[in-house]
Amino acid sequence: MQLTDEEKRMLDGEYGEVVRKSLKILVALGEIYGAERMLKIKNVHSPGVSYRVAGDAGLNFVKDASREGRFTIPVTLNTIGIDSERWEELEYHFPRCFALKQIELLDAYQKMGAIATYTCAPYLTGNIPAMGEHIAWGESSAVAYVNSVVGARTNREGGPSALAAAVTGRVPEYGFHLEENRKGKYLIRVDMELKTDKDYAVLGYFAGRIAGRDVPVFEGIKWRPTLENLKALSAAIASSGAVALYHIVGVTPEAPTADAVIGKQEPIIFGRKEYREVVEKFTINGDVDFVVIGCPHCSIVEIGKVARLLEGKKVKAEFWVCTARQTKVLADKMGLTEIIEKAGARIICDTCPVLAPTSTKGYKKLLTNSGKLAHYAPGLWNLKTGLLEIEECVDAAIKGYWSGKA
Amino acid sequence: MITKVLTGRKIVEGTAEGEALVTRDPISFMGSINPKTGYVIERGHEIEGQCLKGKILVFPSAKGSTGGSYMLYDLVRNGVGPTGIVNAEADSVVVIGAIVADLPMVDRINIAEIETGDHLIIDGERGIVKVIREK
Repeated sequence: MQLTDEEKRMLDGEYGEVVRKSLKILVALGEIYGAERMLKIKNVHSPGVSYRVAGDAGLNFVKDASREGRFTIPVTLNTIGIDSERWEELEYHFPRCFALKQIELLDAYQKMGAIATYTCAPYLTGNIPAMGEHIAWGESSAVAYVNSVVGARTNREGGPSALAAAVTGRVPEYGFHLEENRKGKYLIRVDMELKTDKDYAVLGYFAGRIAGRDVPVFEGIKWRPTLENLKALSAAIASSGAVALYHIVGVTPEAPTADAVIGKQEPIIFGRKEYREVVEKFTINGDVDFVVIGCPHCSIVEIGKVARLLEGKKVKAEFWVCTARQTKVLADKMGLTEIIEKAGARIICDTCPVLAPTSTKGYKKLLTNSGKLAHYAPGLWNLKTGLLEIEECVDAAIKGYWSGKA
Repeated sequence: MITKVLTGRKIVEGTAEGEALVTRDPISFMGSINPKTGYVIERGHEIEGQCLKGKILVFPSAKGSTGGSYMLYDLVRNGVGPTGIVNAEADSVVVIGAIVADLPMVDRINIAEIETGDHLIIDGERGIVKVIREK
């Protein structure tokens, strides 16, 4: 790799041991992927901030770095393993021994200068890069969203590489930072109208399995997806696959036309039949004891929808509405939190079932409108999981039962 | 006894030797594996219920969460991780975890040539995987 004088000084240890080690990790990555140089960046979203993900190994890694290491650019933090303000009240879900380790990890990140967003949707809470900007983001769903919907440029960064990028302000120039790697490989024709977040989650789950690490291109979406639709698609596509970038012809910024991103090829069809095949994988019925909305974290629009559905009702199942704390402040102000909590549901901030300390807690069945959560919950929580519309999730939470029929 | 030498690309230097655990399914170290026990927990995964401890893990590529870097590092530090990794195409999330964990790793290998139970010797520096099969 061609390094600048400043980068050479970083490697010589002139800026301290943490910067030296960090650049060494980035150079190793760059060498593997044939990067010619480093790119300067000014924006990081760091994954691996939940103690459940970092473990003691990650905790020690970050604590060691925090002794002298400081972030040189803005760094938002991904979802953590506890609700940072309610964990003691909800100790059943967030055991003290776990919470204390989690706080230790957050303190280390704080010391380095991180911004305490604790969300998987930082684009909802003030981290919005610009089109074409080079960034270092982790959180698979956010990577897919920011590459595809915003048109910023990032590879899938893990916790250690995001930290390295944050202290050096550099990433190696490879992968999705380069124009030539942002073209599509698979053409998927959407042959049905997609209306809900669940519809987009199902499409994402289907496409992720096909595309793997490559770039899928969707054509046939002639209507305008909402931010929430795109959030759901991004999360599912990065769960069943490792998709970091997708294009929707006529919708996302790099794909004004199909020709702009992909050559002529026979499309893979996604229609009613393919839709049903995915949904069948996540179909359950009978007693329901756990319902979760907000994977990725709810926008204020989604919280409003949940509140309207829950108004004046009482839930029988444990019901979590997961969101970022900044969004909850808005929900508090609008009276939505009160409606939701009165119904017996909970607004949970900073965390989610994917990253909280998992144990079965006696739950047997989970319902969600998230393709990502539906994918992870069976393995992580040993739970049978159903993927439903948001209205169906709320209805089942109220009855404590899902008949399998809308 | 059959011996094959497969040549790929260096990802992380170092040598490792052990029994191969092979899957044709992609792996997410956050979600597919329990980091405290090393067992595969993802429902319906081809190697669900198998343990990674001491094995050389052979899989096409990664999928899913970017939390996988720390999860792989933690797995190795907990003494229940693989001793080496062989991929068809390395995903950055696994690469970063392997670098931090000092785990010998090679990619661009035709993994169809390797079966579970084969004895493997990885030379990370040269990007070589030696396959020894008792027949």
